[in-house]
Amino acid sequence: MKRVVIIGNSAAGISCAEALRKKDKEIKITILSREDYTGYNRCLISYYLAGDIKEDKLVYKPKKFYSENNIELLLNKKAGRIDSKKNQVVLEDKTRIEYDYLVLACGASPKLPEIKGIHKKGVFGFRTISDAKGMLELLPITQTACVLGGGLIGLKAAYGLKKRKIEVKVIVKSSQILSQILDEESAQMCKRRLVENGIEIVSGSEAQEIIGEGDCRAVKLDSGKVIASSIVVVGKGVKPNIELAEDSGIKFEEGILVDDYMRTNIPNIYAAGDIAQSYDPILEKTAINALWPNAIEQGLIAAGSILGEPNKKYPGSVGMNSVEFFGLPVISFGITKTPDGFEEIALKDIRQDIYRKIVLKNNVIKGAVFVKKIENIGILLKLARLKVDVSGIKDKLLRPDFNFALTKDLQYEKEAVYL
Amino acid sequence: MKKLYYDAKKCTACKTCEIVCAIGHSPSKDLYTAVLEENVALPSVRVYVGQEENYPMACRHCQDHPCVQACIAAALKYDPQEGLLFDKEKCVGCWMCVMVCPYGAVRPDFRDSKSVRCDLCADIKDPRCAKNCPTKAIVYREEKI
Repeated sequence: MKRVVIIGNSAAGISCAEALRKKDKEIKITILSREDYTGYNRCLISYYLAGDIKEDKLVYKPKKFYSENNIELLLNKKAGRIDSKKNQVVLEDKTRIEYDYLVLACGASPKLPEIKGIHKKGVFGFRTISDAKGMLELLPITQTACVLGGGLIGLKAAYGLKKRKIEVKVIVKSSQILSQILDEESAQMCKRRLVENGIEIVSGSEAQEIIGEGDCRAVKLDSGKVIASSIVVVGKGVKPNIELAEDSGIKFEEGILVDDYMRTNIPNIYAAGDIAQSYDPILEKTAINALWPNAIEQGLIAAGSILGEPNKKYPGSVGMNSVEFFGLPVISFGITKTPDGFEEIALKDIRQDIYRKIVLKNNVIKGAVFVKKIENIGILLKLARLKVDVSGIKDKLLRPDFNFALTKDLQYEKEAVYL
Repeated sequence: MKKLYYDAKKCTACKTCEIVCAIGHSPSKDLYTAVLEENVALPSVRVYVGQEENYPMACRHCQDHPCVQACIAAALKYDPQEGLLFDKEKCVGCWMCVMVCPYGAVRPDFRDSKSVRCDLCADIKDPRCAKNCPTKAIVYREEKI
């Protein structure tokens, strides 16, 4: 009997296991996780921190899921290295697990800046249930929290903490928040909304040191300013957990390189999710788009490849985000800051907080940002992914009544919605 | 499974479908009571008015369903017989489904931070939009791909 070993028990790993089991009742499936929980949703931890949902709602795959699908789940097991010659995963406790197929779905970890005191108690990444629980434990003794970095994860933590009535200061080096996913205009709109709701954004500064005796007590900025703070959240992006692949012969750059079938350079080893560097049809090169929907999709593709389904080719991953701060929803995908040689069309109604911008190159959509009026952006995402020439409908893309029917002549669907 | 199809030539954009959808998904399910209800449902079907033709649109219950994959709250499931199943209680209003729907057929309801989507009138197993369309522009029939 063939055995598939999946390292990582989150979106990519679980979707892969589930898809394998659906098609193959015989194959042996083992999932390794270094955490202590059955499948839970990382994206929900900010809602949990904020108190919007309870812990039980985080878990989307209870124990029952694993037993019903005959998936062996090994918790608190950290893989140390891969012996690809012997087809074995070597755990940190030196146990060896044999595989016929290996799926690396081990995700990513927060990037920690190399500053003094970064490992003190009270300093958190914001990625696991334990991070959120750790913060919740400190709430009673916390008046102020500092968030390092103005990215999505950091701001989500800021939002959660603010909802718990904690003073939050976000320390951002650049003048723009959310600079990876938004253009200046939309970032400004988000910033305004955050500030109006009591989150302080400290721009142009960087944390230099975390002060405290064992526990975090304050953050010292490069400006010399010291902010008393017993919770520090590091939101400086994530790095794929590729340590495992080092010395294994698996090719990697920033992440593990995969082809359109989620295969690495080693025939029986696959990678999916936040660890995988795959083709991005918008950037037209490989990239890591570490997002929940991409991870799920990649897990499915990896399962298809293992089962030998040759038509399941991955259309590639796109950077895309949907976020809502204090009632202001924002969705963006692809390129949002218009580079030289690209075209942009935009519609702006600042008074009503409405903003829609689309970035194009040679009449192909390369990215978009919608603020407040977020409906129908998925149509643009699909057109961008398929690199459809939109010259015929360009003047209609920003209309408030832009809809699928306007694109139906450019469509590609197997199904005719309109008779 | 049976799905909704639209004849854009027949549609007069009278929006009866939108009204019967909203009423049918409101607590009272009655027009005169529903208009006074605070939480009257938003219609999950919308009619876009074109130059010569009009285009209703609601969830396509796609066999290939990016919204299910994108849902961070596990609120969406797909069943080959029943189509897309939405557990509204689980929805956290992250709008990932809005982000990925290639038809623009899922909309946000900001009043309760839940997405609005067609359930093919699962309560009566007969979509009200098709049943009540005066010009028979909305057809409920077996899927053909």
